[in-house]
Amino acid sequence: MATLTLDRLSKRYASAREVAVSDVSFTVADGEFMVLLGPSGCGKSTTLRMVAGLESITSGDLLIDGARMNDKPAKDRDIAMVFQSYALYPHMTVHDNLAFGLRRRSLPRDEIARRVREAAAALGLDQLLQRKPHALSGGQRQRVALGRAIVRHPKVFLFDEPLSNLDAALRVGMRGELAALHRRLSATMLYVTHDQVEAMTMGDRICIMENGSVAQIGAPLDVYAAPADTFVATFLGSPAMNLLPATLTTGGSALQLGSQSLPLDGPLAAAAARAPARDVLFGIRPEDLRPGDAGASLRARILDVEPLGAETIVRLCPEGLGSEMLMRVPRTFSGRPDEIATIAVDLAASHLFDPATTRRI
Amino acid sequence: MTAILGRAFLLLVLTLYTAFAAGPFIWAAMMSLRTTTEISNSHFGLPLPAHWEKFPQAWFNSNYSVYFANSASVVVTAVAILTIVGAMAAHCLSRYRFAGNRFVYFLIFSAIIFPPQITIIALFQTLVNYGLYNSLVGLTLVYVAVQLPLTVYILESFFARIPGDLFDAARMDGYSEWSIFWKVSFPIALPALATTVILNTILLWNEFLYAVVLITDEAKRTLPLGIQRFMGDQLEDVGMIATGLMIAIIPVVLIYAFFSEKLIQGMTAGAVK
Repeated sequence: MATLTLDRLSKRYASAREVAVSDVSFTVADGEFMVLLGPSGCGKSTTLRMVAGLESITSGDLLIDGARMNDKPAKDRDIAMVFQSYALYPHMTVHDNLAFGLRRRSLPRDEIARRVREAAAALGLDQLLQRKPHALSGGQRQRVALGRAIVRHPKVFLFDEPLSNLDAALRVGMRGELAALHRRLSATMLYVTHDQVEAMTMGDRICIMENGSVAQIGAPLDVYAAPADTFVATFLGSPAMNLLPATLTTGGSALQLGSQSLPLDGPLAAAAARAPARDVLFGIRPEDLRPGDAGASLRARILDVEPLGAETIVRLCPEGLGSEMLMRVPRTFSGRPDEIATIAVDLAASHLFDPATTRRI
Repeated sequence: MTAILGRAFLLLVLTLYTAFAAGPFIWAAMMSLRTTTEISNSHFGLPLPAHWEKFPQAWFNSNYSVYFANSASVVVTAVAILTIVGAMAAHCLSRYRFAGNRFVYFLIFSAIIFPPQITIIALFQTLVNYGLYNSLVGLTLVYVAVQLPLTVYILESFFARIPGDLFDAARMDGYSEWSIFWKVSFPIALPALATTVILNTILLWNEFLYAVVLITDEAKRTLPLGIQRFMGDQLEDVGMIATGLMIAIIPVVLIYAFFSEKLIQGMTAGAVK
């Protein structure tokens, strides 16, 4: 296994004016599962392809175990990749798909057979070795694609949205299998996805990308609890974090939300003291709002109630404020649309953002 | 009742179409077993008695064995070159982005628009200049040049549909671009390649115009020229022409029978996911 380092990695296509990837830097430790997360077009797949050697690097350095890889072709980087489309060779059997990369490396036939057998056993492909890809289900194809990476015993595994072609139920199962695979192999893995659930559940750390740049890197729960900016705050979490326009009172002891005010103390008061201007964005996740008046609270009109079974999502409009916000509550919630409710706000889990820079204060 | 009527109508249409398509073939097959005198007496008569001896007679006495061998060598070589070079060109044009890619593609494809009658005099002169006139090598090269645009056109659209991830996966597996062509592109494109093999074989096996202009020696004639030998100014040996036609058609029928499934796959590839 190995350590993977990206040092100010950038990519600019000759035909494009803007850079596709700009100064991306992070290190994936030996045996770590790092997830690149972001919306479509944010540059995460391009970053992965640069690591794989499938795209040239415009500037910056790519290091594996300290050795510079920029100019090494894909085949010499000792990296295996699982593609979104699986990329199984349709004219070869499962066995030949697994053995294809090993044959190129001129391994002894016994060794190839042993590795294919081991991978097939580990992934439950024993009975499918003589089938062609078109005779496999989506989940089986995914396993073959994984097997093709595993048999190589590479230094680094790359995954390019490998679960996005599977149906929802299968995706949950494969997510668990991938996590188990990582635990078993203790391999260095870089995983690209736009699915925050995959990122939160599988990654040791996640790197959130926006417009070709890194927005934030950290452990999933740390990033969720303390987003670096409004993009991360709203991208991570479903429903997204509520962002309400607010004004700090003189002295910063309270937050004015329309005609209502919330007292500030603790970390939020310290953040208010650092605020460069009085206008701020007040960020709070839907699950940090509760019906009731314990502690700081807001009065809000209930606009809509969406029971989801396990929980209920309530759409609210705080009095004296034009913006809406969402609240996540247990399914026992009994409020009805057009009622005025008192909503308790967990200020310890709230954030202030600078509207000018969008950064968390 | 409606279903039965529908099936009956379909059966009628198919029968008529089969008669239309197979009629000339069956007529020629019957004539191939009759003498010219018999045919003159009754154009549509049955081959009774059947003159099977006409086949060995045509093969050995009328030089058809030489014509057949000439046709086979020219067509097999030309189709082999066309398949490999066409596949390489199609792989390159569909897979690699380089300056002038589309220009090269349209340059190759534009050759299709010229009817052979326009280019044949220039072609004749070129072959004379290079000492390739009246040679099977020259005819083979002409056949390759004439059929290459259509071959590249058919193959390019098929190669373009092969997902790029497969090539990336092969690169990650350690294969060179050359190996990727032979081990990934070429085998995947087999249905399309079979289509071009069968089309080119049939077209070139029956080709007459270039052969009649570019070949003069009796020993270098291809089958269509050989058959033409029995067409005199005053008299035509219709019986022997029909026998020659049957000898010429057999390889085409065999190739079609062997490749027809692949041909249909190639022509309908991508139509149904």
